[in-house]
Amino acid sequence: MTFGPAVGNVGMYVAREMLQAVPEDQRQSYLRMVEEVSELKYQLGVEVARQLPRLLAEHDPELVARYLEQVRDVADVGWKSGVEVAKQLPDLYGAPDESLADAYVQIVADATHGPSEDTETDELAGELETLERELREMEPKVKRAQELRTQLAARDRRDEKRRKHAVELASALPPILARLRPRYRPPYLTQVRQIASADPEASLEAADTLLDLLNGDRVSPEGAAEWVNRGLDVLDRNKEVGRGYFRLGSKYALEVLDELKEGLALKSVARVLKLYATALAGREVVIRSAADVDMAEAQNLDNIVLPAEMRYFDEDEKNFLAYKVAAAQGAGRIEFGTYSLSLDRISDTVSELQSQYGQAA
Amino acid sequence: MGVESQRVEDYKLAKEPYYVPLHNEIELFEAAYESKLPVMLKGPTGCGKTRFVEHMSWRLERTLVTVACHEDLTASDLVGKYTLRGDETVWQDGPLTTAVKAAGIAYLDEVVEARKDTTVVIHPLTDDRRVLPLEKKGEIVQAPDEFQLVISYNPGYQSVLKDLKHSTKQRFVAIEFDYPTPEIEETILRSESGIDEDTAAKLVKIAEKVRNLRTHGLEEGVSTRLLVYAGQLITDGVEPIPACEATICKPITDDVEMQRSIIEIIATQF
Repeated sequence: MTFGPAVGNVGMYVAREMLQAVPEDQRQSYLRMVEEVSELKYQLGVEVARQLPRLLAEHDPELVARYLEQVRDVADVGWKSGVEVAKQLPDLYGAPDESLADAYVQIVADATHGPSEDTETDELAGELETLERELREMEPKVKRAQELRTQLAARDRRDEKRRKHAVELASALPPILARLRPRYRPPYLTQVRQIASADPEASLEAADTLLDLLNGDRVSPEGAAEWVNRGLDVLDRNKEVGRGYFRLGSKYALEVLDELKEGLALKSVARVLKLYATALAGREVVIRSAADVDMAEAQNLDNIVLPAEMRYFDEDEKNFLAYKVAAAQGAGRIEFGTYSLSLDRISDTVSELQSQYGQAA
Repeated sequence: MGVESQRVEDYKLAKEPYYVPLHNEIELFEAAYESKLPVMLKGPTGCGKTRFVEHMSWRLERTLVTVACHEDLTASDLVGKYTLRGDETVWQDGPLTTAVKAAGIAYLDEVVEARKDTTVVIHPLTDDRRVLPLEKKGEIVQAPDEFQLVISYNPGYQSVLKDLKHSTKQRFVAIEFDYPTPEIEETILRSESGIDEDTAAKLVKIAEKVRNLRTHGLEEGVSTRLLVYAGQLITDGVEPIPACEATICKPITDDVEMQRSIIEIIATQF
């Protein structure tokens, strides 16, 4: 059997046995009545659904209407009292004294409602309702305020970190500048300034790396500038990755460096060349970079002065060979004393020439 | 394939071990032997000390008992100890006692590596008493006139913690060894590895250059033994550069830059 759309969710409250107890011609109206009461409170619908079949069985529509009205009246002031009244009331209708049911309903309704002169509860409820409405209206603003608070706290932390790294940079830069070759200082400062304004932490990493790159002749100043520019692009996209780039901790940073490198740096092979030349010469030699020595130092007999960077060939292996040839030449000069000038020998030669050709010679 | 073995005390070299004298070491050794004086051989690794002792044992027709000393070697290991054999406890002579009883040459290689108590044991053998006390057995073995004690000692290895005491050093006639002269080393290489004159000269030149690095990061230079190994690999068909890399460069240093500089020296020759 189907009850159609009007029945709604009434099946949740009405058991099959209850429905079978209702006369067939009244089943549609039974279900409608139950549904209407259920709208007040689910539990009320359940109780009314239990009690209604016996009232409907008496075929007294007025009694049914009276029952529903009295249940509603009590439920209006308190639904739990309404459920109890719905349960007890059909028995009271059968009492010899017909006024008993009405008196019972009145007592329960009054007890539930409280004294009629109590207006304070209504006022409090009204005030609460107003406040709750206002609170509901405030909710988006509170949420936004919380968001702003979080954002500002994050900015505070970021600024604090920035200031801390700026202090570290302030302390680190002077010793680095002292170690940096003078001719590299202006471009170096420009590059560090660029990075520091974007991210002081990254500039701390870059300050050290650039020192090594420039002093070690791994890139020219122009190459370093290009390396920094590429790093700033990375930093712009992601701070952490950018910092990794400037500490040469990323594959990309090394690839860019490799691309910009212009030759084999003496610094990277100086010890191998020193050992090689020492072995050949049979005594300790010193490998010096042409960029680091002045002419007076270059005359030192144990020095082999080589270019800071070898870039005759594209391949480092061949550039190393070029270094090796130059180091071997230097070792030979040291071993055989090519430039070890002895004044005693000159004096002997002059005496010899004088005795051979006379004083005029 | 059967493997022949014989008792240590009966073992004598049947064939003359190849040895080219560097200076007067043969005469010195023979004189020490005649005078019953113990000998200390000093010199870097692989310069021919052991070969020299072998040669002298052949020359003097004496049994040679060689003990490679190590830090766990005790006096008991040298003189002997009681061991269990079946149900019996029997005395087992150590290599030093064996050499003394066989009137042979006892060669304690790198003696400074052994425990301190071993040097005390050899003291009575090195002075005019020439006896070996077997304390655990309660016996003293008198060394025959033909017995000779030889120790080797590499001064390059020693540190403050590990050095021979003066009371020990001053009991020996010291014969100092060094790497052979280039001409002698070339002769040795050609004889021992079968390489040609030109390759031998190149190997010796490499060794000479690498030995220049001894005070610049290398603990020891290239030994003649390693040069012989290089020559043997080359004779067996290995290309000279990889052969030298495997025998001259890699064994003497783990320092990557040092290795590279040595490889460059090798590449300069080949």
